[in-house]
Amino acid sequence: MHVLRQGVHRASILSLVLYALALGAGIGLVTADYATRGGYPFGGVRVGAWTAWPKVGSVGADPYSRAVNARRGEIPLAVGEGMLLTAEQDESGRGLDATCTYRVAGVTPPARAWTVTVAGRGPRDSEAAPMREGFTATEILRETDGQFVITLSPEVQAGNWLPMPRAKGAVRLALRLYDTPVAASAGNLDRTSVPAITRTGCTP
Amino acid sequence: MTPRGRFLVATLSGLVLAGLVHVATVLLIPGLAQSDALSRARSGESLDHPLAVNTVATGDTAPPIEAWLPIPDPAVAVGLCAYNLGEGPMRVSARTGTLMLSLAVHGPRGAFYAVTDQAAVRGALDLVVLTRAQYDEALANADEDEVSHDVRIVAGEVRGFVVVRVIAALPSQRAAADAAVQAVSCTVDSPSDDRTGG
Repeated sequence: MHVLRQGVHRASILSLVLYALALGAGIGLVTADYATRGGYPFGGVRVGAWTAWPKVGSVGADPYSRAVNARRGEIPLAVGEGMLLTAEQDESGRGLDATCTYRVAGVTPPARAWTVTVAGRGPRDSEAAPMREGFTATEILRETDGQFVITLSPEVQAGNWLPMPRAKGAVRLALRLYDTPVAASAGNLDRTSVPAITRTGCTP
Repeated sequence: MTPRGRFLVATLSGLVLAGLVHVATVLLIPGLAQSDALSRARSGESLDHPLAVNTVATGDTAPPIEAWLPIPDPAVAVGLCAYNLGEGPMRVSARTGTLMLSLAVHGPRGAFYAVTDQAAVRGALDLVVLTRAQYDEALANADEDEVSHDVRIVAGEVRGFVVVRVIAALPSQRAAADAAVQAVSCTVDSPSDDRTGG
């Protein structure tokens, strides 16, 4: 009887150790995968609807950014080269949706060149290259005061029309500033120095 | 200890272990990744011009499969020169044109130097990436009468890559941007070349 009880005791200790190991490995690996999948988990600076990523390409990047870059095969912009800003929401905090029309208007921070591009998550819908994925600072049409308005819409628009890259789902905008002095001081940017993203309507 | 107490201790130690596994995994990913830029760059180590990573003049066809960048900028041509300083210092020579060009030097830990064509001297941008020992040797062998326009960058690690980006501001400049990336030369600088050149 005593031997049997000792055996049960030993088996339960062993199963508890196995349980602890499985719990540790499982939760640890799953959370590490989750944190390094997709976008950068932290290191961003919120500027209006945009998030600036000044440090993701530098030697001072946090381990999560480095892991994300390595998993995606990304070649991030270095500090002296430029800066990436991304937007997944409009000014009022609603996610950018492919069925809606957005007005991206205003000015950009000082830079020698910049580009605004739109992309959906995941692989493309079709194999053919899209008609237009973005605008550069040179090719955009401006108002007389130097400001610009980009209309991001699934429908054809007058002016700077940026077509939606897919029929439905979430999309995101990327603003890349090249050769810009703001990369070293992204914390000083305010929301008037980046384009405002406002939703003007949605097709049901 | 009661069975419930033992179970609680096991759960807590499992959670602590989970934290350790999480941190260790995140720190190990850059070194173990096989599809990161540094690993992919090695296939172009023997080239004397940049490996084309993103070509912008694709016309109506979708970008080729070998373009691995997740969401590339459609207006920027990207090329990549891998270096292995064990073979000697790496010299990257670019001739500047009308298109904006930038060079960034990446090591395994991230980019540690970047320069744009505004730093060019008489239309030429010469970047030499070397180790500390090679830098000291270059300084010792330097001819004082000779003015060097090379930008010398000391790399902490032996392996890495130089990224060449050329921006096509207009769609009509895309072919020129691709050509400008390919026109950059990435060569191993051997000391004998310096002597004959000087």
